[in-house]
Amino acid sequence: MSSDDNRATSSVDAGLATGIGTDTPDGEPLVRVENLQKYFWENDSLLDRLLGDEPVAVQAVDGVSFEIREGETLGLVGESGCGKSTTGETLLRLQEPTDGRVEFAGTNVYEMEGSDLTAFRREAQVVFQDPFSSLDPRMTIGDIVQQPLDIHDVGADEERRERVRDLLERVGLSVDQLDRYPHEFSGGQRQRIGIARALALEPEFLVLDEPTSALDVSVQAQVLNLLEDLQAEFDLTYLLISHDLSVIRHICDRVAVMYLGEIVEIGPVEELFEDPKHPYTKALLESVPRATTDERERDRETLAGDVPSPRDPPSGCRFRTRCPMVIPPEDLDIDQDTYRELMTVRERIESRDISLETVGDDDQFTVEDGSVPEADIPAFVAALKRRLFDEPLPPHHDEIVETALTELAASNWEDAAAILRTEYESVCERDHPGLGNNTHSVACHLYGTAADFEGAVDPNSWRG
Amino acid sequence: MIPDRLESNLRQGFRESLLPKLGLVLLASILIMAIFAPVLATHNPTRTGYLDENGNSYPPLGTSYTTEIGQDGEFVEVEVESTSDHLLGTNDIGQDVFSRLVYGARTSMLVGLLGTGLAVLIGVPFGLVSGYYGGRVDDVMMRIADTMLAFPSLVLALALIGVFGSAGFGIPDPLTRFGLIDGMPESTTLPGTVTVVVALVTWVWFARVARGEAMSVRNEEYVTAARSMGASNWTILFKHVLPNSLTPVIVLATIQVAAVILLESSLSFLGFSGTTLSWGYDISRGQGYQRTSWWISMVPGLGIVFAVIAVNLLGDWLRDALDPNIEGEGGGA
Ligand code: SF4
Repeated sequence: MSSDDNRATSSVDAGLATGIGTDTPDGEPLVRVENLQKYFWENDSLLDRLLGDEPVAVQAVDGVSFEIREGETLGLVGESGCGKSTTGETLLRLQEPTDGRVEFAGTNVYEMEGSDLTAFRREAQVVFQDPFSSLDPRMTIGDIVQQPLDIHDVGADEERRERVRDLLERVGLSVDQLDRYPHEFSGGQRQRIGIARALALEPEFLVLDEPTSALDVSVQAQVLNLLEDLQAEFDLTYLLISHDLSVIRHICDRVAVMYLGEIVEIGPVEELFEDPKHPYTKALLESVPRATTDERERDRETLAGDVPSPRDPPSGCRFRTRCPMVIPPEDLDIDQDTYRELMTVRERIESRDISLETVGDDDQFTVEDGSVPEADIPAFVAALKRRLFDEPLPPHHDEIVETALTELAASNWEDAAAILRTEYESVCERDHPGLGNNTHSVACHLYGTAADFEGAVDPNSWRG
Repeated sequence: MIPDRLESNLRQGFRESLLPKLGLVLLASILIMAIFAPVLATHNPTRTGYLDENGNSYPPLGTSYTTEIGQDGEFVEVEVESTSDHLLGTNDIGQDVFSRLVYGARTSMLVGLLGTGLAVLIGVPFGLVSGYYGGRVDDVMMRIADTMLAFPSLVLALALIGVFGSAGFGIPDPLTRFGLIDGMPESTTLPGTVTVVVALVTWVWFARVARGEAMSVRNEEYVTAARSMGASNWTILFKHVLPNSLTPVIVLATIQVAAVILLESSLSFLGFSGTTLSWGYDISRGQGYQRTSWWISMVPGLGIVFAVIAVNLLGDWLRDALDPNIEGEGGGA
């Protein structure tokens, strides 16, 4: 990351400003997350220290800021491994944050102690994804649902039992199943038990961590409807974590899209689904099968490449290694698809992800110590170019690529990468795009900085 | 609570194989021997002098042997016949071998069960804490455990006995105390040091197993759920981690009883037990008479063999029934 300057930092009145122009209930933020960071450390055991191995940071969540207003449902969406679940657990202080702060009803969650913390543990609850792992197999469901009441010493024994019965009935289970064990229930029923447990202390705020993704499709809708009903009935505020866009759309008021530990776009759900701005959001939406086949169907493209490792995320915009709209340097006369191809080739050279041995037809070239004999180089370069690029490059760029590939043939990976880097360096790798503080914010250079995003370049113009 | 599936697995294992049945019968017999020793024993096991007129020990019922007696430098061959009074014969100083077998079961079972129990009490909390907290705590605790493991258990046991001496405690025997049975020892000696020492040299195994379980249980979502409700670490350890870690501990404990019985016998054999009513001790008694009076060490030796086999058969049966891979249910059950 070359620049942190554009990182969003919430100001005091941000909550008021963002409340305008949405169809969500206007309220004070109940939860305010500021620049939350969570790194996991690898190679950090005693042995590693003795051996002098440097600990490696896995940047699971890296500088995430958002707010959740009272009574709303904020969705957190992204592919698995993007850090959304870690965000949920860290903001509940189930993991210690590396940096940043989370306020719950105005109090910093990480500084809570004693009765403040106890109160927070009552007010904020979580429903997990896996209804098999989230219920202790050795406890009856009566005990499971009663556990939060026991921990917080709420009411007398009989009152607790009564409350458990009410809760089970409310989530649609029969009271005479009180003494059964979790394995006697179906996935959907178990998830209802988990929900009943989460509601036992009458919390204000629920983190729903993929609450339906382990369930059959037919059951998913029932559980989602139950969650919606409960929200209305008990004035709950939800943070819904999911990779499933249809779930998000069904239940959320606002949605934040995460990619590789960062929020890349946040906005009201309808707006974001109808008019996605960030290239990643667009790609996500396009990868979902649509009921309607409109013209977008034509240029649906699946994202190229793998998600980079959170141990060593790309500089600048983290999506740049896969972004179809990655911004070329000014005055570069080249179409967008070709530029994308060039950038991909460059990244593969940088990560040494090209096998020289398999270039050409069977054993056409001998590769020794990683390099090709002098005489073979022109033919080798031509063969490699054919493999890497679908279509011939414009003459000027063809030359540059050939010099780079010639270096590669001589096993000079660094030089090959350097040539391409000087010629094709993108603003997307130099600067980290900030998210900004608008109702609908995007972290992407196509939209300028947050302040002037309304008048930004039309992102579709970058399409080839 | 016994989960239904566990119960059916146990039943199935019992039905389909002869081995669990055999193990159960063997162990039941040994336990009955241990508990009702005063009733079953035909003679007071410590009473000496059950020898024939020539001072020879009796062989087991139905056998005989010849012995040589040097009298006034003369060489006489004497045929010794068994007597129905002493079913398994008598030993070199004329103690009834059957009665000693019966009482030896007591010592073995006492040390086996108490020693293992003590090892569980030390090892399981140690392992659970280590595995649950992880990180530096775990690093330090497991280093300690590994250091213990680096010593062969017999060597460690001998060293500890060297330090603490070998003390025995008399446990009053209710059957004789209340006059229900006459002529039997009033109390049984529990080799206290040995019991503690076998626990001290075997607890590490329980610590390791418990640690492994705790490490997987702590990542279960129900533990995270408990934390999100505000449960303290001790509550979580006690209510979730302990119950969900017990299964493999139980299997290990069963098998470990056999190891402890063996260890106790070895210590007694070497004369460090603190009691003389022990299979291991009797084996060492018979050492010098292997050629002629083979039963003196053979009988207690078979006692050990059967006890170990019984415990292992049951351990296998339990393990098969509890195997989480077969069970396929969350929580390691
Ligand atoms: S900043 Fe650049 S690379 Fe990142 S999403 Fe926008 S266009 Fe793509």
